[in-house]
Parts: sequence; C-alpha cells; structure tokens
Amino acid sequence: MTGYVANRLAQGILVLFLISLVTFSLINFAPGGPSSLVSMESTAEQREARLRQYGLDQPAPVRYLRWLAGAVRGDLGDSINQGLPVERLLVQRMTVTLQLAGYAMLLTAVFGILFGVLGALHHNRWPDHIVSVVTTLGMSVPNFWLGIVAIIVFAVTLGWLPAAGNATLGGGFDLSDRLRHAVLPAGVLAFSLMPNVVRVTRSALLEVLASDFVRTARAKGLPQRGIVWKHTLRNALVPVISILGLITTVLLSGSVVIESVFGWPGLGRLAIDAASGRDYPVILGVTVMVGALTVIVNLVVDLLYAVADPRIRYG
Amino acid sequence: MAERSRLLRKILRQPLGIAAVCGILLLVLLMIFGPGLYPHEPNRTAPLATLQAPSAEHWLGTDELGRDVFARILAGGRVSLAVGLIAMLVGLTIGSVAGAAAGYYGGWIENLVMRLVDVFMAIPAFFLILVIVTSFGNHPLMIILTVGFSFWSQMARPVYAEFKKFRNAEFVEASQALGGGNLRVMARHIFPQVMPQAVVLATLGVGWAILSEAGLSYLGLGIQPPLSSWGNMLQNAQAYLWLNPMLAVYPGIFIAVTVLLFNLLGNALRDVLDPRG
Amino acid sequence: MRVARRLSVNTRRSVKFLPALLLAVGLVLFGTAAAQEHDPNAVINLATNADPTLNPWAPGAVIESNLINTILFEQLTRYSPEDLSPSPALAESWEASEDALAWTFHLRDDVLWSDGEPFNAEDVAFTFNDVVKDPDLGAQSANQFAAVDHVEVIDDYTVRFVLNTPFSALPYYLASYAGLLPEHVLSQVENPLTDTTFNKQSPVSTGPYKVAEFVPGSHVRLVPNENFYGAEPKLAGIVIRVIPDTNTQVAQLLAGQLDLVGRLNPNALAGVERNPELEVLSQSQNIFYFVALNFDDERFQDVHVRQALLTAIDRQALIDALIQGYGTVATGPIAPLLAALHNDDVEQHAYDPERAIELMAEAGWTPGPDGILQKDGESFVIDMPTASYAELTPASLLIQQFWADIGVQAEIETIEWNAYIQRVILERDYEASVAWWSMPPTPDVTPYFACSAAHTGNNIPNYCSEELDDLLAAGRRALSAEDQQAAYFELQEFLAIELPYLYLWHPNIISVVRDNIEGMPAINAATAFQHAEEWYVAP
Repeated sequence: MTGYVANRLAQGILVLFLISLVTFSLINFAPGGPSSLVSMESTAEQREARLRQYGLDQPAPVRYLRWLAGAVRGDLGDSINQGLPVERLLVQRMTVTLQLAGYAMLLTAVFGILFGVLGALHHNRWPDHIVSVVTTLGMSVPNFWLGIVAIIVFAVTLGWLPAAGNATLGGGFDLSDRLRHAVLPAGVLAFSLMPNVVRVTRSALLEVLASDFVRTARAKGLPQRGIVWKHTLRNALVPVISILGLITTVLLSGSVVIESVFGWPGLGRLAIDAASGRDYPVILGVTVMVGALTVIVNLVVDLLYAVADPRIRYG
Repeated sequence: MAERSRLLRKILRQPLGIAAVCGILLLVLLMIFGPGLYPHEPNRTAPLATLQAPSAEHWLGTDELGRDVFARILAGGRVSLAVGLIAMLVGLTIGSVAGAAAGYYGGWIENLVMRLVDVFMAIPAFFLILVIVTSFGNHPLMIILTVGFSFWSQMARPVYAEFKKFRNAEFVEASQALGGGNLRVMARHIFPQVMPQAVVLATLGVGWAILSEAGLSYLGLGIQPPLSSWGNMLQNAQAYLWLNPMLAVYPGIFIAVTVLLFNLLGNALRDVLDPRG
Repeated sequence: MRVARRLSVNTRRSVKFLPALLLAVGLVLFGTAAAQEHDPNAVINLATNADPTLNPWAPGAVIESNLINTILFEQLTRYSPEDLSPSPALAESWEASEDALAWTFHLRDDVLWSDGEPFNAEDVAFTFNDVVKDPDLGAQSANQFAAVDHVEVIDDYTVRFVLNTPFSALPYYLASYAGLLPEHVLSQVENPLTDTTFNKQSPVSTGPYKVAEFVPGSHVRLVPNENFYGAEPKLAGIVIRVIPDTNTQVAQLLAGQLDLVGRLNPNALAGVERNPELEVLSQSQNIFYFVALNFDDERFQDVHVRQALLTAIDRQALIDALIQGYGTVATGPIAPLLAALHNDDVEQHAYDPERAIELMAEAGWTPGPDGILQKDGESFVIDMPTASYAELTPASLLIQQFWADIGVQAEIETIEWNAYIQRVILERDYEASVAWWSMPPTPDVTPYFACSAAHTGNNIPNYCSEELDDLLAAGRRALSAEDQQAAYFELQEFLAIELPYLYLWHPNIISVVRDNIEGMPAINAATAFQHAEEWYVAP
C-alpha cells in the first residue's frame, strides 16, 4: 500500500511540474503585461524600468527556471499587482474557497444521496419523477445566473440574506453570520452539482436492489429498511465515492464563477484577477496549487475505494 | 424493418424528447429568422432611452445603453448556440479521434492518450480555459476552440473503451485479412457501435458548452462587447441590479431553456439508443 | 416703605450674586456642550476596492490607495477647503525666484514621524531626488515633476526646488497625491517603492492617523498618531475595509456597517438614495474625458473634421446614460471647478448632427452610396481601440453610434488594460480612442498639450502647434492672479477652436457619507482627506 501511495505522489509531482511548465509557456503568449505596472501617465521608459524591476525583461526560459528554483524551495515569489508573497495570498484565498467548497459539498452529498435514494426506492413513481425534474433543471440552469436571481430575490428585494461577501467584517468568527453569507452561494453550487450524485446513487442503488443477495434477504423476511441501510448502501457506495471525487474538480471550477457572483475573496477570484491583470507569479502559484489539490483529492478517493470495496487492493 | 419500427416505437414513447426536438427547432428558427423579422438592431445605442421597461415598441425593454434587449437576445442566441454547437463538434472530433487511436492501436499511443486524458480530467476545466483564453485572446474562434478542447477528454474515454473492445474481434481480423485498411475498419465497423453513446454525449455536450461559454463571457473572459452573447449580457446586467434587475433575468432564462431542451433531448436519446449507458 | 427697604437690602445682595451665578451656569452649559461636540470613541468605516499600497509613489496602486495615503502621508502643500489654492501643510511658506526657475520652501520645525523621528529637509530631498526623479524606480506621477531638476537642502528646514523650466504650478502639483517619505526608513531598504514591510504592513508616516493593523484582503486599521504636529485628531480610529464589489459596498452602507464610500458607482446610487441617514456628495474634479484623434492621421489634421466629429456627439446624453447625469459637459481641459480660471465664453460645439455633416462637407467628405462619408474614393473608417475598463467601452459604443449617424464608421476593438496602454498610449497605434486625464486643480496643462510631449510624453493625440506652446509658456510664466487669468483665458479660447482633444465631460466623484460625520471639507474628496484631523462624529 505504501508503495502505491508513494508511486502516486511521485506521479503527482511530475504532473505538477508539467502543469507549471505548460501554464508558464501559455501565459507568455499573452500580450500585455502586469496591469499595475502601467497607467495613463506611463511613458515607455517608465514601463521598461518597472519591467526590469520585476525581472520581466529576461528571456522566458530564464524566468521559468528562476521561478522553479524558488518553487522547489517553497518560495513562490511575490504578486506583482498586490505586492504580497504568493504563498500568503494562496493560503488566505484557499481558506475561503475551501469553506465554500465544504459547505457546497456537504449540501451536495446530503441532498444528492437523499434524492438518489428516494428516486431508487420509488422507481418510476411520482417521487422519482420529481427528482428527475429537479436534477434536469440542476444541469440546465446556469448556476451563476441562479445566484444573481437569488441575490435579487433574497437580498435586494426581501433583504433576508446578505447580497455578497463571505462574512461581515470587524468581528471575530461568528458562525451564524458566516452561515448566513454561505447559504446562497453554497446552495446555488450544490444545486448544479447534485444531479450527478443523484444519478449515480440512484442507478447504483437500483442495481443493488435488484441483485441476488437483496432478493435473498427479502425472501428471508428482513424488513425493507434494514435491507436498505445495512446492505445496499454500503455496496452502492463505490460509485458514489467516485462521483464525489470527480465533483471536486467540477467544484473548483464552479466556485470560480460563484465567487465572482457573490464577491467571495477566494482562489477563483484570485485566478481571474491574476489572469486578467497578468500577474504571472500568482497565475503560476494558483495553477500549481489547484493541480496539487486535485492530485491529492484523486489519491484520497482512490484510497477510499479500497476501504469501501474489499475487492480492490493496491499492490 | 422490424428493427426500424421498434426504434420508432421507442422514440414515440419519449414525449419529453419529442417536445425537446420541437423546442430546439423552434429556437433555431427563431435565431435564424428572428433578427430579420424583428425591427430593432442589437447594437444600435440610444443614450436617451436607457433602461426602459418592456413595451410594445421594445418587447423586453432596453439595456443600459438604450439597445433593444430582445434584439440582443436574438443576436446573442446566435452566438451562444453557434459556439455551443461548434465547440461540441470540436470536442467530439478530437475526443473521438484520440479515443479511437488509443483503443485501436494500443501500445504507446494508448498510454500517451490515456495519461493525457487523466491529466486533463484532473485539471478543473475553468482554470484551464482561463489560462488559455488569457494567453491567446478572446476572439470568438478562440473561445470555441478552448471550450471544445476542454471537452475532449470526456468524449475520449467511452470511444476508447469501445475501440479497445473490438480491437481483437474476429470481424476486424477478417476485414484486415481481406485487405481493408485500418481506417476503413475503424470507420465502417467499430465506429457505428460507438455511435449511440457518442450521440448522447454530444447532445449533452452542447448544453455543457453553452453553459461554459456563458460563464466565461459573464466573467469578461469570453465573447467581448460589442458582440453580444447571453453570457456577456449577464455581466453588464450585474452592475445594474439596483436599477433594473430584469436585465439579468432575461438572458439567463434563455440559457436555461436552451440547455434544458438539449439535456432533455440527450436523456431521451440515451433511453432510446443506449439504455445501459 | 419698610418692606421695600428690607427687600432692597436682601435683593441687592442677591442681585450682586446673580451675574456671577448666571456666568457660572453659562460656563458650565458651554463647557458641557463643547465637551459633547464630538464622540471621542467614534470609529469611522471606509471602503476601498482592493488592498491598498501604503506608499504614495508606488507604481500602479492608485485608486484604492490614494485616499488612504492622503490621510497617512502629509505633503508640502495641501488644498484650501475654500478655493483649492495651495495652502500650508508641512511647508509653512514658499516663494519663487525672480526667474521662476527655483522655488524655496520653508518647512515646519515641529513635525515628527509616527515613530518619533523628526521630519526635516532630508526627507524632502530624499523623496524627490532619490525616489521621484530616479528613472529606474518608475514612481507614480513622476512625469508631473518633469520640470524639477533636483531638490537642494539649504538647511534643516529649508529646501529649494531647482527647475529646468519655469513651473508656476509647482505648489499645486505638490498638493496632489505627493506625500513625503521618511528618509531614515526608506533609504535603508533595497527598493523604497516596493518594500513590503512599509507598503503592506507598517509604514512610517506624518499624518493625523497612523497604521495600527493591516490584514490583507480584509482591512487596514488606523489610530490617532500621538506624534501628529497639528490639532489633535477627534476620532478613536478609522478602519478601511477592503470590499471589491460595489453591490456589497452599497449593502453594507445600508446595513450601517460602512460610514463612507469615497468613490461610488453612480449606478448603485438608487439603493443608497432612499436612506435618510446617508448623504450623497457629488463633487466635481479636474478630470476630463476625451476622444483623442491621432494627429499623425492626415484626416484629423483638418480642424473642420475635428470640429465635425465633436459636434456629432450629444455629450449631455453620454453623461446621462453613462454616469446617471453626475457630470458636466467639457468645453476644454480646465474644469469649472477652477472657478477663477475657467473660461465659460468659448466655442461650445453644441450637439448638431446636421452642422457636423456640413463641416465634413467643407473638409471634402461627402456621403457615399452606402451612407458612409468618403473623399477621393476613401471611406471614413476609424480604428478605435478601447479598454475593458470603467466607462471606456460603453462610451466608445455610444460615440460609435453618434458618428455612424453622420456617416463615419468607427471600428471598436476591446483590449485588456495593459495591452491597451501599450498599444494606444505608448505606441500611439490608434486613430481615435476614448480616455481621460486626471489633473491637480491647476490650469497648467502643459504635460498634456505641449509639442515636446507629443509621441513620447502625455500628449496622446500628438498635436503639435507653436502657437499653443507659446500660450502654455505664457501661462507658466504668469505669477499674479490677473496675469494667470488673462493667459489661461486666451489658452482656453484657442483650445476650444483648435480641439487638440475632443473634450467630452468632467465627471463628478460620488461619495456617500453617513450624516453624523462632520468636519469634512465638502469641496472635493482629496481636500477632505487632507484635513482628516478635522473629522469627527456628532454624538
């Protein structure tokens, strides 16, 4: 098992290196440069002087190697537009995104599995149809638009919930305040991710419900509820875990837009601002961090497989 | 004959799917002929008539620069639909070719392609699109290619699985023995087996591509003004939430309805062509 | 009689005490009123769009940092709340030499930095010689001091600005976001403009409030500077909250969590105006938006064409549509804000599309078969790049339509900010483009109009005219108020006819303030922030 994990981690590091190389090459095609280095009053000499200060007048391979040398030591450089060290920015923003992702994942898993089970147990009857409608809507409605509409309804018109932000500033950590700010963004994200979980849970459960050992259990006279919870769910767990893993990737993507809608200062906003402001160290830092997250999550998911299904073993 | 009538019966048992097809046809007709019939131009600004409510003159009112909202929805629809369809085709093509090559030839091609698929599935699509669009600019063609490109790995896997299954099948060997080239075998014999799955994925892919473009344009990274797309209409609208919230609602409804129609069609197709997928 | 006499004795004694009693009561009442004049524990919450950079000369960090840096870093001069003329700040007085090539400033001798070190001439010399005038550092707004050759230290509290050309507006420019930096701190670091400890954590400053805490992404907390030389600050603190999103700013204003937003998007006002506790201030600035027509293009060298293109635009409609009416039509670069020096009586070029077509015809451009103007077989098509920044793109779109109405076809391309600056501002690769200049409240517009600034300086249209240069020089030489008025009135007449830029509008800056905040000069935001020691919250 340790060998497997080590192998995966080594592969992961290779992937990260490739990602950084590809990203660096790509962004060097981008015209323009960091947005903070020029303004309406800039002259050509000023612009050049500032480029020189940040080492941006060096040829691309030199800049990449310099960055790499720093990165392996753990120093990702400083943000050009914000002046702060990249690691500090990443950690700060990441905490916010993880919170959003956490809330959303919780809602997705709970409601996704719930609806999936409902649908499977009442296969082809009206609860199943309702679940079907909800999930199709979830896949069709653009979640950022749903977010805007939610803001219009709940914040601008009714005034029940805050229009934006992840917390009211100035206090310490206030859970109820944080939750009030998280309801709309996490809810909207969950709404668009849920369909996948519902579909997989439902079909996995259906398959298991129809399988032999369940029929045997029923024949033995075991109550329905006991059958569902004891046998079926655990067996249905494997594809559910896989979909939750896949969703993490989608979640990181989805949170990018939702962070913009709701003004959360997370990783997605950082990426967008860095991309449009050509803040090279931050772009690299974000891509590598997101890549690392994905590698780790995939590894965890695969390990969970082994736990859930005793037939899977990694040599 | 019996095969076809069975298929027909299956199709007829999908009222939602049929409704979806009709809806899509209507939408396409609207996008093609609408701009010619509706009297207002999408880009004609009128600074003296901004943010007006819907009226007989302007069916959905006017936006922040006085442009007719419905005209922009029609124009934006053309762009969004075109991007969605072409992007899906791009992804479909790349994915199919890559998956087919990997499954059929095996060996190092298989390894390379499947590793690439893993890497691409591991990268959150948005970050990938973000970096590419920043680097190469947001010309509509670029957006199409980028969105399509981030879709290919989803297509590649099932195509790869099918081609791998049939790689060593007897009829393939027979065909090769008879002198049929590899391409012929792939196209005539194996691909039709993959078709149903591919069609379903493609249909669902259109919806996904439309949503992706909308999100990109909303962030300001996709289709740029003055060209209108449903996504960038939403971006402008968010600044005016306090003055006229409906500006944000209309484009979203159209996106939702369009994607819904494609998803319903995809679901119906799946039930008809590939029930176990 | 007897009663009256007895009364008169007693009453007389009481009456003697009465004035004293009244005086005493009066004093007590007055004293209490004075003591309750401001709430000593009040903390004001401001909003800014991004993490500020606490260094007035740091490149790039402008909009989100300017006002905070104004509170923190005192300047040699500051604006008078009455008429924006330069008034004493860290400099008590100043005079120009006979030939206007040197300005001597006499500094206050009682100023301490927030770390207790004394402020003196070395700080002024360091700020200008080592920071602003060092071309490798790329200090913000360094161009504005192009006329300054170097700063000499005469003694501890006297400096002399040695100029390479007359520059009568120097005191104005020194009042415009030109805070002084501490020599004893920043001469020790590698780069005085990018030192993170200073810029993003704990700067050393001279203003009435100093930084107590800077949490990136969240807020900056200011507390009274006990070493401040002037009147004691009346607030317990100022918190600047980082809120990038306008809708959030409005929501927090309405919820009572913010007290001041210095620069609100006019479109968001609808949410704020309904609230009786919030006051909307609409302050004009010396800013003008314009269309730059590239003078290198032959077509634009004909003044009729330039005048036609301006006459075709309904500028009031632009103001109403883009900034909800919070602006005035610009007839020249000098805003009405500079009341004494603004010349109302110039060519207005009022909106008149027919007249525009006539003017074009006079220049030889007549409508072709497709409606587009043409001359000698060439269609009037204009390459008009714009940046996806603030109002630039919507303004360009509206102007495109106005020009289309008279037969001129403008091709709009939206570019990212840095690439736009590179292409339009630095390389001058454009035919027309909408942009803006923000200037200190001085009529001296030389950097933006002089022939020497064409192609390499801030004269973006590359307009070049000897007559204009003469008028600009005359303005710089004028030292008395009458001379200045005469010179600048003549300049404005010329500019209104010749149209080196197509002047569009002067925007107002919208601030929203809670109505219990007093002591803020109302004339404009920069002046208000330069007098932060006078702010207080009514109890």
